[in-house]
Amino acid sequence: MPRRSAARRVVVTHPPGLHARPSLAIVKTVRQFRSKVRIRSGDQEADAGKILEVMSLGAPYGAELTLSAEGPDAESVLDALAQLFADNFGLSSL
Amino acid sequence: MIQHMELAGGKVTRNGDMAGNVRVYVNPDESERRYLTEALKLDEHTLVSALDPDELARLEFEPEHVAIIFKRPKNYSSEDKFVFKVASAGLFLFPDKLVIILSEDVPLFQGKHFARVASLPDLVLRMVYSSIFHFVEHLKVINAISDSLEEQINTSMQNKYLLNLFSLEKSLVYYLNGINSNGKLIERLKLGAAKIGFTAENLEFIDDLIIENSQCYEQAEIYSNILASMMDARVSIVSNNLNWLIKTLTIITIAIMLPTLVVSIFSMNVEFPGRTHPWMFWVILGLAVLSVASVRLVWRWKGW
Repeated sequence: MPRRSAARRVVVTHPPGLHARPSLAIVKTVRQFRSKVRIRSGDQEADAGKILEVMSLGAPYGAELTLSAEGPDAESVLDALAQLFADNFGLSSL
Repeated sequence: MIQHMELAGGKVTRNGDMAGNVRVYVNPDESERRYLTEALKLDEHTLVSALDPDELARLEFEPEHVAIIFKRPKNYSSEDKFVFKVASAGLFLFPDKLVIILSEDVPLFQGKHFARVASLPDLVLRMVYSSIFHFVEHLKVINAISDSLEEQINTSMQNKYLLNLFSLEKSLVYYLNGINSNGKLIERLKLGAAKIGFTAENLEFIDDLIIENSQCYEQAEIYSNILASMMDARVSIVSNNLNWLIKTLTIITIAIMLPTLVVSIFSMNVEFPGRTHPWMFWVILGLAVLSVASVRLVWRWKGW
């Protein structure tokens, strides 16, 4: 399989930001794919497959994140992550 | 800060600035507190309890309303350093309205639990259920963090990962206390069902809540026991990793000392056979290299 790389920009629209539960949702999504994903928030960067790193980002509401993936299913993992962000990590509320 | 909401048609919706039958007060200021205690006749102590994270969950019957204090997980932020805390929330159920008091602005009415709400008492139960669900979700996060920390500890020589595990252990004690406290509240809700005005369907839902809460408690207890029982082993692993490093450094030091000894012997200001031989420099260098090789051989032979 050829190695591919892709990048995508997403915005945190979940009011409490990237806290514990969204971080776990991101890690679980990334682990379903074979590509390596990194998340950049400002000058901080984290491996999206490691919960300790994702939680340490502490991205607040409205933060713009850059997701970059490298691997055979780079586009697919970014699609899944973009959908997760759009759905507010399944934690939509009033 | 006040948020007006309306429960109608089985759903809770924002009501803008218009007073609805659901009112959410987030960390109420002095004037809001005065309104709550004077106009709505909320007991001042109960109001303070709703904002106090150390307060236990409880149920109180007042002449005009029912006061319910329950525990919920506090939203985690990266500054919490792996300490998951518990907060309190107050629900004041009147015949025509529900007043919710929170200490922080958190998303309420999350997920499918609030898709079809029959009445205000039903909304109360669904909020308690939402809190149990939130605890369960946080327990999953704690478990994932614990697994991740274990991986780091296997190769670590630092205390920081151990300290993070201690923080998780402390969090689980807070959670156990909060979940247990909610369990007592749910039992009291069941006992006071007639006074609160719960329907037969609500009572069935309370039975579900009791089971869900007890499963949540057991899960937290198991995670807490695993973390506590494995802590000594993890401390030993970090200590052992450090010992390995010191041992390797010691062997390297010895390996450097031997060629130094060889060269030092030949550097003494005395006569020795072959001193002026043209190959003597290479002989000394060879002996130095041989001494390093001998250390390496002994190292491998002994399996250090």
